[in-house]
Amino acid sequence: MMEDKEILRARDFWGALVLLAVSVFFLWRTFDIPLFGDNRAGVSTASWYNSAAIVPLGIFSALLILSIVLLIIAIRDGGAARALSAVGIGWDQAEALRFTTIGVILFFYVAGLVPRVDFIACSGLLITALTFGFHKGLPERMILSAAAVAVCGLYALVMHLSQSEWGAHDDDIITLAMWAIMTAVVVLNARGDRVLKAVPVIALIAPVLLVCAMAFGFRQNVPNRGGILFKQIEYHYYVTLRPIWRS
Amino acid sequence: MEFILTQLSGFGGAFWALASDPLTYIYLIISVFLGITFGALPGLTATLAVTILTGFFGNKVPLDYSLIALLGAYVGAIYGGSYPSILLNIPGTAASAATAMDGYPLAKAGRGGEALGLTTTASFIGTLIGTLALLVFVWALLLLSQNIASPEKALLALFGILLSGTLMSEDLVVKGWIAGLIGLAMAMVGLDPLLSEPRYTFGWSYMLSGFQVVPVLMGAFAVPQIIEGMRHMDVGKVTELKGRILPNTKTVKRYLPTITRSGVIGTGVGALPGVGEDVAGWVSYGVGKTVSPEGEKFGKGSLEGLLSSETANNACIGGALIPLLVLGIPGSPPAAALMGAFKINNIIPGPTIDPAIILRVVAIMVLASLTMFIMGLFTARVFIKILRIPQVVFLPIVMVLTTIGSFSVGGGINDLYLMLGVGFVAYFLNMLKFPIAPLVIGVILGGLFDETFRRSLLISGGDLMVFASRPVASILLALNLALIMSQIPVVKRAFGHLRRRII
Repeated sequence: MMEDKEILRARDFWGALVLLAVSVFFLWRTFDIPLFGDNRAGVSTASWYNSAAIVPLGIFSALLILSIVLLIIAIRDGGAARALSAVGIGWDQAEALRFTTIGVILFFYVAGLVPRVDFIACSGLLITALTFGFHKGLPERMILSAAAVAVCGLYALVMHLSQSEWGAHDDDIITLAMWAIMTAVVVLNARGDRVLKAVPVIALIAPVLLVCAMAFGFRQNVPNRGGILFKQIEYHYYVTLRPIWRS
Repeated sequence: MEFILTQLSGFGGAFWALASDPLTYIYLIISVFLGITFGALPGLTATLAVTILTGFFGNKVPLDYSLIALLGAYVGAIYGGSYPSILLNIPGTAASAATAMDGYPLAKAGRGGEALGLTTTASFIGTLIGTLALLVFVWALLLLSQNIASPEKALLALFGILLSGTLMSEDLVVKGWIAGLIGLAMAMVGLDPLLSEPRYTFGWSYMLSGFQVVPVLMGAFAVPQIIEGMRHMDVGKVTELKGRILPNTKTVKRYLPTITRSGVIGTGVGALPGVGEDVAGWVSYGVGKTVSPEGEKFGKGSLEGLLSSETANNACIGGALIPLLVLGIPGSPPAAALMGAFKINNIIPGPTIDPAIILRVVAIMVLASLTMFIMGLFTARVFIKILRIPQVVFLPIVMVLTTIGSFSVGGGINDLYLMLGVGFVAYFLNMLKFPIAPLVIGVILGGLFDETFRRSLLISGGDLMVFASRPVASILLALNLALIMSQIPVVKRAFGHLRRRII
């Protein structure tokens, strides 16, 4: 318990330093907003209380003061003394690997795949990778899952960075292929494991249901409407299925 | 008397309009079911249930159905947290943490059915007590709030953030305040509300409209939960459910004073800005332990202990809606998510809210609690099966839900980047034991605080005494100052000294 508190104070030491830097940076940026004597949007900001900077100035000053308070508490409780050692801040290699791999998966999913790749394909890959990678807590599976999503995400990012290229389908095919490979890996490891046996079904059904509910039920925009799978679903919904009940 | 009759007839009209619409029941059953499921799955919270459903129902269906979906999920999720508390000794939501203290020993003693049945009944009565308070007090407060002007609003917003920061911190109070300030700072991004001056946009046009509430909510509540929950964990052994779930009328009658007391406490705690159901549960449990003749049995399988926390956390919902509807200040983290839904529907909660909306909210709460009661008593075994699903199966689906929900509300990829960025920051803040609720409340109330604070100064020509010149403003200013002073070590010591002398 005591050990936990000491670790927390060591982390607080670094946290307070980051907060200090952030508050100083934003305080400096706040002075870009006219504080005295300007005339903006037809309103004279000759008086300090007219300025748009007054509230942010107060907020970042308060943040600066509270960061200093936190820093003092951390130093007083021995946080600074422990802050430079890995043991001191409670560094856990397994936990760091777990966080890094999840971070990589989420980053490439959101930044690389969702804007550029068919939503069903990339979400299927995400569900397969996350469940397979973290179900048993095995490091090699975490790395494999992160690599699978990262390869597809990186390809989509590098090959189709600008928005004008998001309609291309080569990244869809690569993601689909990766999803198939990951599914095969899951099936091969699924003997006696009920969770893994369910993964391929969940990874297919969940994104299809969600995207169809959103697009046809709520009639909302969904990511990448021109994706290789969703385009077909949308076409058959409007051309094949809808006329049946419309007529 | 006339006031009460007018209220009741207005409520009757709203209730009948909703009850006679078949679609109401479809939304109710789906949302309460989803709510209980979210509450029952350890790792998912009531706030997350309301946040995710905001992405789906927030602005895509007529407002009545949207409110049914969100309030149904809210009521269901707070109740659903009791399942794993009683059967697994793991609170499904923070609100049910106190429930586990007595619920699990009862289940182990073979009284799980009785505990679940009474919990369901207590949650139902608790929700009704909170709803009744909402119906009565919201009107009285609405009349009072007509006299609340910019200085009071600014001080109230600040009080909400400070109070939430103070009560939600599990480590240092200063961390709660820092979280609130980070939220306030995030609300400063974009064009300022009075002069349209761009602030911290860094030349990016997306930032001109400021941070959108829904992606921030999704990022703050969903992403850290997903990162934290994606780990190997054996699903705990679900205690076998013995005994009938339908409660015995005699037992309910016997514990009615406890249920009523806890309902009133829960409503009162909920009405405090920014304080959630978990605090309500613990406060009521603490009071119950002190005043109950069987106080020494609390924590060892006491039905009174169980009912104290379970009634209060559900009663807190009605209480939390009072400051939300009257002042536009959320009473709890799920109410903050609900406020996000109001915002995307262009409804500004506060003194100018359409009274018909309040009556509909009350009617929906009654219908939702009834649905929860019926589902709780007759489909409990379905929810017990859900407890066996490991987190690694449902959290990836939550990520997909969050992504598509966040995207469809704003309709842009930038919202997803914002969601992910906020999510990573919130995860690190969680790791450092900074509470997240004050941050979200800061984001939601930041615009209101900025606008009303500056408007007060503009009206008074820069005279800071404007914040102390009116009676309500003076009281609020005193409360804010007292809250800050109470955390300063010198003041704390002085008060401790004084208290010891008096005793």
